[in-house]
Amino acid sequence: MSDAVVIGPIRAVRRLPGVAIVLVLLIGLFGTIAPGFLSAANLANVLVQSTILIMLALPMTLIIMTEGIDLSMGAVLTLTSLCVAIVSLATKSMLLGLGAAVLVGTLFGLANGWLVAIAKIPPFVATLATLGMAHGLSLIVSDGQSVVGIPHSVRDIYSAQLLGVPVPILMGVASYCIFHALLYHTRFGTYVFALGGNREALRYAGLSPNRLLIAVYAIGGMMAGVAGLLMTARMNSGHPTAGLGLEFDAIAAVAVGGTSFERGNGWLLGTVLGVLAVGVLRNGLNLVSLPSSVQVASVGLLVILAMFLDGLRSRA
Amino acid sequence: MSDSAEITAAPPAPLLELRGISKQFPGVKALDDVSFAVYPGEVHMLLGENGAGKSSLMKILCGAYSADAGEVYYKGEKVDVSSTAEARKLGIAVIFQEFSLVPFLDIAQNIFLGREPKGRWPGIIDRRRILRDAKRVLDSIGFEIDPSVVVDTLGVAQQQMVEIAKAISQDARILVMDEPTAALSDREADLLFALIGRLKADGVAIVYISHRMAEVFAIGDRITVLRDGRRIDQLRPADVTPDHLVRMMVGRNVDMSYPRHFAERPGEVVLQVKGLSAATGISDIDIEVRRGEIVGLCGLVGSGRTEVARAIFGADPVSEGEIIFDGKPIAGEPDVAARRGIALIPESRKSEGLALLRSVGDNLVVAALNKLFPRRLYDPSDAQRTADGLIRQLRIATPSARQAVGLLSGGNQQKVVIGKWLAAGAKLFIFDEPTRGIDVGAKSEIFALIDRLVAEGAAALMISSEQIEICHVCDRAYVMRDGRIAGHLTRSELTEENIVRLGMHDE
Repeated sequence: MSDAVVIGPIRAVRRLPGVAIVLVLLIGLFGTIAPGFLSAANLANVLVQSTILIMLALPMTLIIMTEGIDLSMGAVLTLTSLCVAIVSLATKSMLLGLGAAVLVGTLFGLANGWLVAIAKIPPFVATLATLGMAHGLSLIVSDGQSVVGIPHSVRDIYSAQLLGVPVPILMGVASYCIFHALLYHTRFGTYVFALGGNREALRYAGLSPNRLLIAVYAIGGMMAGVAGLLMTARMNSGHPTAGLGLEFDAIAAVAVGGTSFERGNGWLLGTVLGVLAVGVLRNGLNLVSLPSSVQVASVGLLVILAMFLDGLRSRA
Repeated sequence: MSDSAEITAAPPAPLLELRGISKQFPGVKALDDVSFAVYPGEVHMLLGENGAGKSSLMKILCGAYSADAGEVYYKGEKVDVSSTAEARKLGIAVIFQEFSLVPFLDIAQNIFLGREPKGRWPGIIDRRRILRDAKRVLDSIGFEIDPSVVVDTLGVAQQQMVEIAKAISQDARILVMDEPTAALSDREADLLFALIGRLKADGVAIVYISHRMAEVFAIGDRITVLRDGRRIDQLRPADVTPDHLVRMMVGRNVDMSYPRHFAERPGEVVLQVKGLSAATGISDIDIEVRRGEIVGLCGLVGSGRTEVARAIFGADPVSEGEIIFDGKPIAGEPDVAARRGIALIPESRKSEGLALLRSVGDNLVVAALNKLFPRRLYDPSDAQRTADGLIRQLRIATPSARQAVGLLSGGNQQKVVIGKWLAAGAKLFIFDEPTRGIDVGAKSEIFALIDRLVAEGAAALMISSEQIEICHVCDRAYVMRDGRIAGHLTRSELTEENIVRLGMHDE
């Protein structure tokens, strides 16, 4: 019994998921070496900058739980961001811009879902193809140029505050709450676990795995549409390569967060921690003035580190 | 043969009745005019060897397959069970060996998958009610566990109980169980039998597939024996002996004779396995194979035959025991075994034994590259000569060594796999189901080839579910049961009945 008391704290640390340890280590590291990292303004900045990634990584968690992947998310986000810019520029309406972005994003999500569920194309290949299509469309609609001069109503979203809290943070928190309720408290969420865990079980329960799968990808596209609004607001313009490569960060965050790529084991809170770890890492490297190329490489390292810690834990 | 006139001789009316069910798959008649009835409150045992048609019958019962011919009656009324949803509406629930549970949902969510109680808002699950309802179902089958426990953390026996709870919660009146005790300990099996007793008392009809003789007589009220897709007989346990049942399952098969030149006296020991155990579920395995012998390794599917082969080949780690090959102990990875001269010819030759898109020639020389080209320089004409020699020697029917292996027939593909190891100089061939998916004519050619291999000084260990082939081809055989060697049969003892008797669980 006395033994148990002694090793208690170590056990507790061991039981912590790898992502939590990684996040604490990163905050400790940059708190020490990066001047101004721990200031309230900078920490708020990390949160605000993480919002777009949260909006991609939450649906990405669901998609990965179904043993799928969505490589097109960054490119679709770029396209929807351009939709926001172009439509709001033409109509002077932020809401119409958002509507167009959500519509385009959802259509891409539906296309991904259809290709995966009905056409039976492996998710990696199907979404790689739609990545190319979304990227090409972005170049076409923008003519390869930035779309500038968009209404203030769009830009202000990024800097606005509600009760002293930046609106993007509120949107991130709201997204988490919605996805949490969706995954853990609805029938749909229950079936998402089954899509990856045992698709036969769904069929025997008289449900259609294909329709559910399409819905999961459609939600991913829809969220890319909502995130498109934030992206345009943040850049105060639409840019034809703005969100390219963000799917990498989103997938990394999900992996770091401990969602399994098989058997339908997902953890939304882990994904949020993973997003924060990625955000802290990029922000900290920025503060110590390392170039963005190093940031990309270090996100890769982060994934390996988190996997390694989780591996140690499961063996212990 | 089956006599379909005597269907209803028992009490009330059957709850469910199948009449004249046939089901054809490409190349095989899985079910041929099978009739079958279950009555409320009885346990109906379904017996048959691997491939006798039990699984097909079960899948038709639950609507996963539709029958090509025949009718289904529910309480005397003709019904159409063409989907799992309709089967469920009739109160038919099936517990497969591979569970239909979702690993990372909790017990309650699994029990009510697709039937979650609605909450206040659309789509939201009433958490408190689902837990309460689950608890009630679990209590009713005497399974004491917190319904919010995630299924992935449960053992096999507990998962089985969740499956049963799921079926009960659907008001199942007909419960089909496929070898439910296969993964259970004796104590857990007793709990299951107690539960079955309670369900019977409630008037539930149970169709129970088993390979264990003791169970058949312990809980069965009626027995149906299937063989080769046909109903051989339907009877009561009191009217039959285990021996008689075994004979019915095996039947009198048509005489098949394969060419075999049995060695007068086998050569020295090539392989000696002593007290071998592995984490894959085999324990205390003793096997000896001599030069010039074909030794059979039989037992039911899942009895550990393939695991023994994999352990010998080094494909799975060995936890205990010793493998002596050619006078020296062997341990390690498959490449060590292959270099020493052990060839494993796997059951799934398409996925494990051949590169289907590559040519016959490439496949033949791939395992012999080190031997053919010790200087690590590939000489195409040398390789070609070796391949052509093997094609002639093994009589592989292919237009040329350049033909892609995937285009050959199953029998010829099998010859390419054998040739590949022959080129590498293998001394011991381990065959896992060498005739699976091969037509009858090609079978005897494969056996002639194996016969020639051993006559020329090799040794063979042959896993097969085709007992008749074992009996005809092997010098002697080991029979496995539950991961152990249940017995050894010499040439004169080698009969199908003996194999089945040793392989079954007859306590």
